[in-house]
Amino acid sequence: MLKLHNLSKVYRTDEVETVALDNVNIEIESGEFVAIMGPSGCGKSTLLNIIGMLDSPSDGDYVFMDENVAGYPESKLSNIRKQNIGFIFQSFNLIDELTVEENIELALLYHNIPASERRERVARVMDKVGIAHRAKHMPSQLSGGQQQRVAVARAVVGDQAMILADEPTGNLDSAHGQEVMEMLQSLNNEGTTIVMVTHSPSHADYARRTINLFDGHVVTENLRAAG
Amino acid sequence: MFKNYLRTAWGHIFKNRLFTAINVFGLAIGLMSCILIMLFVRDELSYDTFIPGADRVVRLHSAFYQPDRPPFLTVRSAGRMKDAIVSYASGEVEAGVRLFVNTTTVIRDGEAFNENIIFADASFFDVLALPFAHGSVETSFRNYGDLLITEETAFKHFGRTDVVGQSITTCCLGPDPTSFKITGVLQDLPQASHMQLDMLVVMDPAWFAPFPNILDTWNSVNVYTYFKLKEGATASDLKERIYTWLDTESIFTENEQLASVGMKPTEIIKPNVMPLADIHLKARDEAGTMGDIGPMGDYNTVVTFIIVAALILIIASINFMNLSTAKASNRAREVALRKVMGATRKQVAWQFLGEAIAIAFVALMFALVGVELFLPVYNEAIGKELVLDLFGDLPILLFLMIGAVATGVISGSYPALYLSRFLPARVLKANRSSDGAGQVGFRSALVVFQFAISIGLVICTAVVYGQTVYAKSLDLGYSHSGKIALTSLESAQTPEKAETIRQALEQLPGVENVVVSSEVPSQDNENNTGFSLIGAEDTMATNQQVVLNYHTLGFGFLEAYGIEPLAGRTFDKSYGTDVIQDIPDEEDRIGTASVILNQSAVRSFGFSSPEDAIGKMLRANVFRSGQHDLTIVGVVPDVYFRSVKFGVRATAYWVRPRSFDVATITYNTNDIPGLIEGMEAVWREQMPLSPIAYEFVSEMLAAQYEQENRQAELFAAFSALAIVVACLGLFGLASFTAEQRTKEIGIRKVLGATIRDIVQLLVWQFSRPVLIANLIAWPTAWYFMSDWLDGFSYSLGDSYIFAAAAIAGSFALLIAWVTVAGRAYRVAQTNPISALRYE
Repeated sequence: MLKLHNLSKVYRTDEVETVALDNVNIEIESGEFVAIMGPSGCGKSTLLNIIGMLDSPSDGDYVFMDENVAGYPESKLSNIRKQNIGFIFQSFNLIDELTVEENIELALLYHNIPASERRERVARVMDKVGIAHRAKHMPSQLSGGQQQRVAVARAVVGDQAMILADEPTGNLDSAHGQEVMEMLQSLNNEGTTIVMVTHSPSHADYARRTINLFDGHVVTENLRAAG
Repeated sequence: MFKNYLRTAWGHIFKNRLFTAINVFGLAIGLMSCILIMLFVRDELSYDTFIPGADRVVRLHSAFYQPDRPPFLTVRSAGRMKDAIVSYASGEVEAGVRLFVNTTTVIRDGEAFNENIIFADASFFDVLALPFAHGSVETSFRNYGDLLITEETAFKHFGRTDVVGQSITTCCLGPDPTSFKITGVLQDLPQASHMQLDMLVVMDPAWFAPFPNILDTWNSVNVYTYFKLKEGATASDLKERIYTWLDTESIFTENEQLASVGMKPTEIIKPNVMPLADIHLKARDEAGTMGDIGPMGDYNTVVTFIIVAALILIIASINFMNLSTAKASNRAREVALRKVMGATRKQVAWQFLGEAIAIAFVALMFALVGVELFLPVYNEAIGKELVLDLFGDLPILLFLMIGAVATGVISGSYPALYLSRFLPARVLKANRSSDGAGQVGFRSALVVFQFAISIGLVICTAVVYGQTVYAKSLDLGYSHSGKIALTSLESAQTPEKAETIRQALEQLPGVENVVVSSEVPSQDNENNTGFSLIGAEDTMATNQQVVLNYHTLGFGFLEAYGIEPLAGRTFDKSYGTDVIQDIPDEEDRIGTASVILNQSAVRSFGFSSPEDAIGKMLRANVFRSGQHDLTIVGVVPDVYFRSVKFGVRATAYWVRPRSFDVATITYNTNDIPGLIEGMEAVWREQMPLSPIAYEFVSEMLAAQYEQENRQAELFAAFSALAIVVACLGLFGLASFTAEQRTKEIGIRKVLGATIRDIVQLLVWQFSRPVLIANLIAWPTAWYFMSDWLDGFSYSLGDSYIFAAAAIAGSFALLIAWVTVAGRAYRVAQTNPISALRYE
């Protein structure tokens, strides 16, 4: 699916140079479920942002589906991103002014899909994550777990091949966290590649592989037997 | 997609009601000002365009630049110019026409009415193709005496408009009433025309034989000359051709006076050719003191108004930019998400631009309501009858649409670019916008700009207003209260008749005295003639001719107006030597009479003091009375006899009974209706065939400022709007800042800051831009207003500008304080714990 080769990211301010990622080499196969762990400030989110093409590397190659996208301009990245990648955030990031339905539909708006098909797909995905009965509600009327389910629905409604999840359970209690993890796992079972940043070792266990980052380096990679 | 945009936009509008209201209200005021001003400007620019072929019609203006004399400018021309130019410039000119504009008296059923009449060549319609209501050029305007009247005039005299074949009796070009047959009826001229006309007649040059200065002259400028240009010829082509003619083949090439100083005719005679469409707004600069056929427009006023409208709209747009970018953090997440979902920066920018345009349209709706509301007041102020006909007037509708879109684009483009730039990675992680120091600085700069404009406008308004008030309160040097000017005395025709009327009026109860003169103060006739000092070689005075303004006064005039001599005496019947007597042409002698000078005239001759002038003798050619030697019998102070706009000129006063055209009745009664009834009775008895015309002198003086007054008031109104809009923006920004700094304020309070400290902190933050705005506004306003004041002979002076600036600046600061302090107080009062826990 993707391959990071000698990838570095350096943030420069006037006087300080902060190395967020240093010579990172990671390969992720299609259909994998990868967890990225590490202490605060180790570069997890930077890595996820680069994989998600929301940020670009300072150095190195990023090959996404056999295409080196490292030097691509924003417009081209945006196009690849909307075709292939869905996002789930710790803080849900739903738009307060839109209903559940409309929030999910947002992911299809920039895809040139006719309205009737959009409605159909939104309905299908809402069923799948069990939020259909809340279709007309506003995000503020939902619990955290429900909001994150909407976010998951939004991330998959476009049939994206890969989902990037940045601490998806960070704002949830354990029961709701569990729910979301199970949802991710079932998506993975259906073939969706999932890359997830998490602090929780138990949630990392859902992944088949865990990458541990420290100070911008990949320190260990643990594989878990498929079960 | 659109629905989605609409939903989010509506959500934000609703959640930020205050900011939306400020944006919409501000833009509405800006658009309303623009629409009102645009209606005015459009009307001003539309003058005379209703005349078919107007783009090929031009008018010949005259200008004489004689050495050592102020230039003499007029939009009139000499009577013989037309034929000469039509034949010489046959390549450029298709046709030409002369207009002699006059008033006449129409006598109907023994009653007399004043009407405007234009005597014209039969070629009138070849040049100015005014539309007919009844009749046609072929049947109605061919022979001497063919008379056209307007529909309004027809209705006034006959109660209907189809009056072809009826007769009308007018009085009097010659000594006797003349009867004309009406050969056609013209459609009423629209208000937007420089011409004013009730009657139009084909003139017979023979009628003017007794007045050679009107048609048969190369020098006297008494007619208006218009030309129709040939297809493809321009006004400047014709002008060039006329200059060639003047220097090579015209009569002026043989002028001895010119030849003696070795000058070409065009070094002195510099006519201009002005396109018809320019006349209303641009003729003023070339009209000198005699003016045009009707009231003239003012190009500068139009330009000023356009600028003011643009400034108000800019201020409103800045509010929009400032508030939108300030509130951007609220929408940062939405932008980031849309981008994550695949929206390009362009798409996001268009979304916000669309929102801005939509808000501009909402503002436009409010603006239209405002226009409907204020149009009557506005019309009264500008003296027009403008209407806003949205659906019957496609250009207006288009203008409004384009205007709203443009406003939206101007206000929305910066926020759109700014908001669409957000980087999703940063926004989504930090969950806040990247509102760096640069943004805050930029917003402050915009606030400075807004307030600089507002303060500048207020200063300008204060100066214009101050100048108007100053002009009104100016000591004119004479008393003008309790006086009525009987301006119809002109129609008395003979000095004897005028004297009979004067005496009869003086007998009326309540009348203190009645004095006669050629004009009363504020009547603005240009009378100039050359005076030379006799025996000048014996004195220090110059032997050259000095051109003086002159007025004719009857006995007792100076006393009636309370003007006391500085030296010598006023005119006095008992001396028996003051009056100028006509000298018949065949008698080759020089008459004698007296003259009184004002102080400026005394200086022009170089006399050391008023006393020094007394007894000296001046020689002058008195118009239509022959050469006279005039003994200076008195010197009076410089009074503003003419319109104050022209200031005081070097002036001579003399007594010449044939010029007694107006009587001043000084009264001491409160029974004004009774007095006027008495005046009318006297008039009817003495002048049954002429209408009476009278005015209170104070009102005539006040009327001179009417235009300036209106302008000052409008200017004040629009400046006030600008300030209101700017303050709205400041209020919004202060609210936002207070809201944004809640946490900081909380910490400060925990650390011991009082409410007062907090309010001070915020007030100071917003005082700075206003203070800086002052630094920009003051010199700018001074630069423009100092120039403007220089145009007045009686100006307030530059120090006033600084006083106005100081007041305007403090005023703006005060408003800013009040605006911000209220908001700051509310925030400062909140419990710091709640503010901190909130984060």
